[in-house]
Amino acid sequence: MNLRDGLDGLRDFWKEFSRVKTGLVGLAILLVFIFLGVFGRWLIPFPDAMKHWQDITYWEDNPQSAPPAWTNWFSAKKGVPSSVLARPKVEETKGDNDVVIKAFTFDFKFTYDLAPKDLIVKMAGDGPIPAKIEIYRPDGTGGEIWRDQLNLSPGQGERISLARSASDGVLGFVQSQNPDIAATIDPTLIKPMTVMFTKIAPDMETNPVALKGEYRIVVTELVPSSDYKIDTPSIEVSGHVSGILGTDKSKRDLFTGIILGIQWALIIGIMTSVISVVVGVFLGIVAAYFGGAVDWILTRIYELIYLLPVLPFLIVISAIFKPSIWTLIILICLFFWTGSFKTVYSMALQIKEETFVEASKALGSGSWRIIVKHISPILLPYSFASMALSIPAIIVYEASVSLLGLGDSTIVSWGQILQAALTQGAVINNLWWWVIPPGLAIALMGMSFAFLGTALDKILHPKLKTR
Amino acid sequence: MQSPESTSVGLRTPIALELKNLRKEFHVHRGKTIIKAVDGISFSLKRGEILGLVGESGCGKTTTGKLVMRLLKPSSGSILVDGEDTTAESANSKESDFAYRRRVQMIFQDPYASMNPHFKIRDVLEEPLLIHRVGETKEERTEMISAVMGKVKMTPVEEYLDRHPHMLSGGQRQRIATARTLILRPEIIVADEPVSMIDLSTRAEILQLMKTIQQEMELSFIYITHDISTARYFTDRIAVMYLGRIVEIGTQDEVIDDPKHPYTKALIQAVCEPVSGRVGLMRELDIKGEIPSAANIPSGCRFHPRCPYATKDCAEQAEPELMDVGGGHQHACRRWKEI
Repeated sequence: MNLRDGLDGLRDFWKEFSRVKTGLVGLAILLVFIFLGVFGRWLIPFPDAMKHWQDITYWEDNPQSAPPAWTNWFSAKKGVPSSVLARPKVEETKGDNDVVIKAFTFDFKFTYDLAPKDLIVKMAGDGPIPAKIEIYRPDGTGGEIWRDQLNLSPGQGERISLARSASDGVLGFVQSQNPDIAATIDPTLIKPMTVMFTKIAPDMETNPVALKGEYRIVVTELVPSSDYKIDTPSIEVSGHVSGILGTDKSKRDLFTGIILGIQWALIIGIMTSVISVVVGVFLGIVAAYFGGAVDWILTRIYELIYLLPVLPFLIVISAIFKPSIWTLIILICLFFWTGSFKTVYSMALQIKEETFVEASKALGSGSWRIIVKHISPILLPYSFASMALSIPAIIVYEASVSLLGLGDSTIVSWGQILQAALTQGAVINNLWWWVIPPGLAIALMGMSFAFLGTALDKILHPKLKTR
Repeated sequence: MQSPESTSVGLRTPIALELKNLRKEFHVHRGKTIIKAVDGISFSLKRGEILGLVGESGCGKTTTGKLVMRLLKPSSGSILVDGEDTTAESANSKESDFAYRRRVQMIFQDPYASMNPHFKIRDVLEEPLLIHRVGETKEERTEMISAVMGKVKMTPVEEYLDRHPHMLSGGQRQRIATARTLILRPEIIVADEPVSMIDLSTRAEILQLMKTIQQEMELSFIYITHDISTARYFTDRIAVMYLGRIVEIGTQDEVIDDPKHPYTKALIQAVCEPVSGRVGLMRELDIKGEIPSAANIPSGCRFHPRCPYATKDCAEQAEPELMDVGGGHQHACRRWKEI
């Protein structure tokens, strides 16, 4: 067959395929998945997340177990979404002896009912740098809430969590506003963020009323001499709600996780199912068609592997060899080819006795031509259905191995997200955004393959076609 | 691979195909039971001749067809094409098998089953060309396909090329099956009950078409059937088979108008005639019972348990060989003069 024949065939195939609606739906979903799998890394807010998924420090600026940002639409008290404040206004004043004072002013529009959980100021530079942070509120009040000497060196920035470090400063601020109220506050239990974003009132701790409006956060750093330098700081607002799909208990952004999971689900699912089904179908046909010793040997191997319990075996092998994801794919293939072998074997036994096979032999076809042209196409719909059906199971196997800490921890998979949710009590704590999206993603991917399978079934099985 | 010219022009002998004492045994139940499906048959097929192979189901006529088609290996005996022994060791290579299949082709009984349901008519007809690497380009092959479809009167060609077999009627399908065997320009065609699955109304048409093509292309034809009436209409000679052996062979007129063997007589008697007045009358056949199992062939003349004329001799003496009664009309009944 030359290239043009192949292209013609492909065009005919598409013409028929485009008539099957479910197939188009399945294909559309799959294409979206493939698009997100390929280009997802440029759409996610944490581009390096793939390398740092298991790295707690990478995620430390996020709020813990925060629901998705859009839940604000449905809740009475709106929470602050997590965000980053960057590009401050810079004001530079020169002091004596080369001293330079830099003041960075961040504008923060606060229109929510709940104060941010934390403001994290990140400073970087080189040298011993004294710094202070002031907050000015929409009502004109405000002042310095933190001051310290930073020892910065390249690659070793400072990260100041105001919720933890600014207790004294905030208490001082309240004192300057209203000493009576300040006296009622227990300095060890003060919540600096709640105080700073609340109207000053006697019951401000028990019943805070948010002070809405434009806030200014000023970070001032003093550069002692030209030997030292500082970078522009940034502020992470750690909110109540975060991102498109919220965060998990380890503060990881779940949207990032889901998007990163797509490519691994596709890679693991498609590679494993394609390899195992192709191997299973091929061996099944070969055993049935050639019979005799070939049949005997293949059937014994099949029985041996079929009798082995997959999961314990995977666990033991994973524990001993600590496989990478690629080794794991091959391992799963070793077990999954048996899934299609016996069915294909029995189907091929029947097909090889068909008159059209005999007719083809009478025309001079060799064994391989009959296998490729006459037997395989009939088994193709079954193969695709079998692939589609095995993909979810394969993802679950990978997840199960990951659950036990035996998977490849360098990847992010939906299975791993789900297993983390399960073990860390997402269900009990009502953290639905941790469970539903990965579950839905697995279901959607399974569905897209199932739709594709039935559509191909309709095309490749002309007898099912409406005439 | 031989070119079509050398096969059709080169070594032409008046005998296209010759079977010599051909046997086929099947061993079943781990070899405990031996089924003698074909039990020593010999006949020759002249070039351009149609030979009918007639008998009940289970008499070995389809097995004979498959032996000729090399779909089965004979247990013993030989098949000669153009005087060459194709069952010899030397002819057992892939190349000779390939060449053989260009010369000998088969039309199957069931036109529904003999085509891959996934194939379009184009694929069905293209397959022999692809297997034998005939036709360089797709256009060239399409031209050959169109030509052969014209021959079997499947026109306009474009209307059928992209259809699947299930979209055609039985008659149309059998035309396509015929076209598939003709596309390689073979010399010998084995047709295994080609019209038995087709509506009566189109049977004559298909047979007429086959006969026209056979004459045009000077094909040698083996027509396997259980229906002795179409055999008379279609063939030049008829061989009657019973339980793996030929019991009578001769020109179609001689065998049908002047049958010598009681089995042939019974077969002719069994033909239904839609004649008024006789319709309600069930024919009472002279022969009794069913055809015995090929695993347990009766002693003596293998027909004696069912034969109305059988004597003690028939059961005890050795099986009679074919005897000539003149003009190539042969039969295997020792009591033919008496009955």
